[in-house]
Amino acid sequence: MSNFNSQSKPQSKPQSKNRNRSFGQGHFNRITVWAKWLLLCLLIIPVVAGVVGVFLPAMGYFPAIGAEQFDFRVFAALFDVAGIHRMMWLSLFTGVVATVIAALFAFVLLSVFYRSQMLSRLQIVLSPFLVLPHAGAAIALVFLLSPSGFFARLFTFDSSAIASTNEGVFLFDSYGISIILALVLKEIPFILLMAISVMSQPLIQEKINGYFKAGTALGYSPIAIFFKLVLPVVFPQIRLPLLAVLVFAVSNVEIPLILGPNDPSTLAVAILHWFNHIDLSMRLQASSAAVVQVGIAVFAVIVMLAVEKGIIFYGKKWLQRGKRHAATDKAISATAYLLLVAYVVLVVSAVYTLVAFSFAKQWTFPNIIPADVTMLHWNTVFDAVLTPLSNTVLLGVSVSFSALVLVLLTLESEPLNAAKTRASLLLPTALFLPLLVPGVAFLYGLVWFQQLILKDAVWFHVYVAHMVYVIPYVYLSLAVAYRKFDNRYVMVALSLGKSPMEVFFFVKLPLLIGPILVAFALGLAISFSQYLPTLLTTGGAISTVTTEAVALAAGSSARLSAAYVVIQAVMPLCGFGLAWWLSNILFKPSTNTRSTNKSNTGKSVRSV
Amino acid sequence: MLVIAGSAYAEPSVDGNDIAIPGPGANPNTYANTSPKTSPKTDPNPVVRLHAWGGSAQVNSYLKWVADRVERKHGITLKHVKLADTSDAVSRVLAEKAAGNLNNGSVDLIWINGENFAAMKKNALLATGWVTDIANFALTNPSNNSAMVTDFGEPTLGMEAPWGKASMVFYYRKAHFDSFNEPVPQTLQALLQFSQQQPGRFTYPVVTDYLGISFIKYAAIALNSSNQSLFYSPVTQKSLEKITPSLWAYLDALHPTMWRNGEYMVRQASQLQRLIGNGELSLAFSFTAAEIPSAVERFDLPRDVRTFAMSDGSLANVHFIGLTFNSPNQAAAKTVVNFLLSPEAQAKKQRLQVWGDDTVLDTSVLSASQKSMFETQQSHPSALDKSQSTPLYAEPHASWTDALRQAWEERYGARY
Amino acid sequence: MALTLKELRIFKGSALLLSLDVTVEKGEILTVMGPSGSGKSTLLQAIAGHLDTPFSFSGSILIDGTNLASKPPHRRGVGVMFQDALLFEHMTVEQNIMFAIPSAKYQTKSRKRDAVAKLLHAVELEGMQHRVVTTLSGGQQSRISLLRTLAAEPQAVLLDEPFSKLDTALRQQIREWTFTQLRERNIPALLVTHDNADAVSAGGQTIELSSC
Repeated sequence: MSNFNSQSKPQSKPQSKNRNRSFGQGHFNRITVWAKWLLLCLLIIPVVAGVVGVFLPAMGYFPAIGAEQFDFRVFAALFDVAGIHRMMWLSLFTGVVATVIAALFAFVLLSVFYRSQMLSRLQIVLSPFLVLPHAGAAIALVFLLSPSGFFARLFTFDSSAIASTNEGVFLFDSYGISIILALVLKEIPFILLMAISVMSQPLIQEKINGYFKAGTALGYSPIAIFFKLVLPVVFPQIRLPLLAVLVFAVSNVEIPLILGPNDPSTLAVAILHWFNHIDLSMRLQASSAAVVQVGIAVFAVIVMLAVEKGIIFYGKKWLQRGKRHAATDKAISATAYLLLVAYVVLVVSAVYTLVAFSFAKQWTFPNIIPADVTMLHWNTVFDAVLTPLSNTVLLGVSVSFSALVLVLLTLESEPLNAAKTRASLLLPTALFLPLLVPGVAFLYGLVWFQQLILKDAVWFHVYVAHMVYVIPYVYLSLAVAYRKFDNRYVMVALSLGKSPMEVFFFVKLPLLIGPILVAFALGLAISFSQYLPTLLTTGGAISTVTTEAVALAAGSSARLSAAYVVIQAVMPLCGFGLAWWLSNILFKPSTNTRSTNKSNTGKSVRSV
Repeated sequence: MLVIAGSAYAEPSVDGNDIAIPGPGANPNTYANTSPKTSPKTDPNPVVRLHAWGGSAQVNSYLKWVADRVERKHGITLKHVKLADTSDAVSRVLAEKAAGNLNNGSVDLIWINGENFAAMKKNALLATGWVTDIANFALTNPSNNSAMVTDFGEPTLGMEAPWGKASMVFYYRKAHFDSFNEPVPQTLQALLQFSQQQPGRFTYPVVTDYLGISFIKYAAIALNSSNQSLFYSPVTQKSLEKITPSLWAYLDALHPTMWRNGEYMVRQASQLQRLIGNGELSLAFSFTAAEIPSAVERFDLPRDVRTFAMSDGSLANVHFIGLTFNSPNQAAAKTVVNFLLSPEAQAKKQRLQVWGDDTVLDTSVLSASQKSMFETQQSHPSALDKSQSTPLYAEPHASWTDALRQAWEERYGARY
Repeated sequence: MALTLKELRIFKGSALLLSLDVTVEKGEILTVMGPSGSGKSTLLQAIAGHLDTPFSFSGSILIDGTNLASKPPHRRGVGVMFQDALLFEHMTVEQNIMFAIPSAKYQTKSRKRDAVAKLLHAVELEGMQHRVVTTLSGGQQSRISLLRTLAAEPQAVLLDEPFSKLDTALRQQIREWTFTQLRERNIPALLVTHDNADAVSAGGQTIELSSC
């Protein structure tokens, strides 16, 4: 989404005598600098505290159970646990394979559609999958793919057939294929949308257009141009987000918990289990495992970077050969269309199955339509969901709004005309820190520290845990808009005598209201989808729609579970719908004045 | 769905009005200063916090009714703190004790039995000898019903009051068995034969789940009928070695025929019900017979489900309510327990439409008017036929649970 | 209000980009021409107050003897006009101009409105107050942009190739209007352009920058 190489804006530096950049003495500027440091603290402190908080017990230091000495045998003992190596391998394997496949498929889709109008339609089709929480996506997949699931019913034509498992079904399989499938389906939209936003940055877009013209003139097809010319330009910009995807894939809990194997499970699931064990000494083992989990993530990152280097090396040779690849183009095209169809089918089937189940009375296998419908389940849900729903919304709105404010001010703290030279790495590093450190590792440590400070302030603790995850996404989303914003508007407004604060409120904010609202909706969606952060920091005291949904995923009622997934899907969509609607009515000149001209409301600047 | 050790039935909270507490990863040292909102003895409106598993809609709404009744009758506010796993509350009290919190605990009453009770008893986390103060306790006829004062072989020493009874029942899909043309297995061995004939139709949860380990206990007892007395004393290496060979032989034969070849085992009992509901399993089991007909009424189970008890014996136990040693509201808590043991409350609890949990009151010591509260209700085709009596196995000594679990995990691998 | 650039040297890093020593009298228009990369835009940024790494400058920028270097950009009273009109799209024409009028200038809103109407009349755009700016043509936008810049009562105006996006027919007319308005108000201006005709029309000194 934003480029974090040497071309990003530098930090505010103390002025030497002969630079007359935006003056630090202004109130507004001071506020923005404070906001930036607050943002950095919110990103760095919880993660670092969390890592320390698991690192210490892993080294044997855990006063609560009387372990006051550092003892490395605790860590060593981890490797004697039965199945530990398989767990580590499973985590690594599923994470790396899923990320690689997702990236490949995303590039395939891009290569076919990047020059066509289909791109925006593609974004629309993929967005539901993007904002649905991982837990919801996993549950939906179980509904679709289990032996008694929707697809099985579609293809069973004997109405007296009995759903049978032992015929090569891959949910819960020991190799983790089901985990890979779920991860791939969830990550392709994310990678795709990130690449699209990178490619729409003005400088990069110009370059791509130029390369496209040059490449076409040389006889390369659009698909070939994408892989040979465009991707090398775009990839460095999405490398960091891709690594974040990789770390998540290697260390996430919800997906293996809901549809992964348990003989054994992935390491993350085992960590969850050990931390919750009634025997407190298991915490030491859990902490050691968390450290190992971080190690696996690091290793996966190294593997990915090595693979990238390898591809670059062989890629250069490949480029020199000059083949035009007409045949593979067709294959790639076909794959892309197949993928698109697959997503459409999945989304439609999932929506149907979940909605139908939530209203269903009896619905035996292999019927495709329930025997009858009832409001019973929704009534049960409405009674039960009020508290989690209000918690979710309250938390989401407060987190997203404050993240938005902090991010806006932080972006404002960056100088207006920053030359794109050496960048300070602090902000980009801090932004990706929560995304590159496995949650299952640092969250437990964070909770430990939180219990030391203000034990009862659960709302504060869960707020912090959510902020850690929401800020990066809100920042990345708004940074794109800021990068695209024509700063001459600011220069003009300043030249008209308006102070920086007035410029921000009266010129910049209104012109950016569209992206701001989208960023807000994105922050909401991210907060809605958090599972571990909510569960751990509140000790379950605050339940949200996602924690309830995960709990119900293994509950006895498929119908209630389906209803919760529907709610999980609808909530972020409502957020984005609200953002879209508000951006169409806020700050429009024709709504403020009695205009005799029914003119269109300009929208070009909002997406400059 | 939370993967936690312990004995919960582990179906999650469906009723969202109260707080739920699954496994926290909290620092126990900080439990020192929990403060209830009310001051203990002088408050005219005491708040009693009952920590109980919150995964069943029926239990939750029953407790809501109880709360409503004690509010009206005694002005006590009863709060149902929903747990996904009882052991979490046990951890909490343990942590409070470790932090020196001796009279201001966050838990007043706790719904426990078995391992959790054993843990609390061992760590002296429960008030002792209070149960005899409860007027309605006499109605359980403790001198003639040792089950009222014994919990998995451990004497309760007045630390917990009996609340209800449960026994293991099996349920199946009649339509499936009709099409298999197989008889429904009535004994453990018949179950194995059935599974071998029709693979993939049965499974049991991982042994960290209450129901999973109960199946193992049932199998162990049923397969060692000549050595059953061993189960009622604390486990020893010798007694374990004596009973495991037949158990392992059975399980080794059973696992490959189970659902998903026994490679993936469901984490919670509720998933068994889900699998029966969607037709992937034909046979499953449960400790709460009442939830089956109510699941059918909620459409989560198809109408052809039938319940029965194994003829070689069903594991049965009593579940209890404990009073913590550091509860600040002991008097009010005892009043609540007295109400829970009242014929009114027990009869309501036994009604299928409410919860269906058997009463612990001994009808032989009830007056006619009290007895009449326990009217039998019309039965449901999917419900257990209680007119048939089948043998019961009392729960083995609490130490057997851990021992069997460990032995199973050593042999078949830990399942997370 | 004369604009003086005294021994102004602009550096990129340590390399000297350009060096100027000139005074623009009020009502005068200084034209700065030169190839791309010669630092023309940087010069304007330096005067407006937006210079940043790797650029720096030495020397002084004075308006009527007051050094601008100590003032933040919004207090310099230096108007800027760019190639694009950059009208604020969330405001109508009238609001764009009113945004620029110093808040203390008119006591009542109706007086403000009258002033705006007068300005619009001066460039033959009467009645356009409530138009949404995106519906205006390029020439109309240029004129509104000019009005907005002038409404702020700047002490000097910088013009960064403001006519280059207009087609030739329009160009001359807009240019005339712009220069007339500037002269009438006695505002010194610095015009950066590629077009010789602009320089000729400006009628003031012309400085050719060479690329370093």
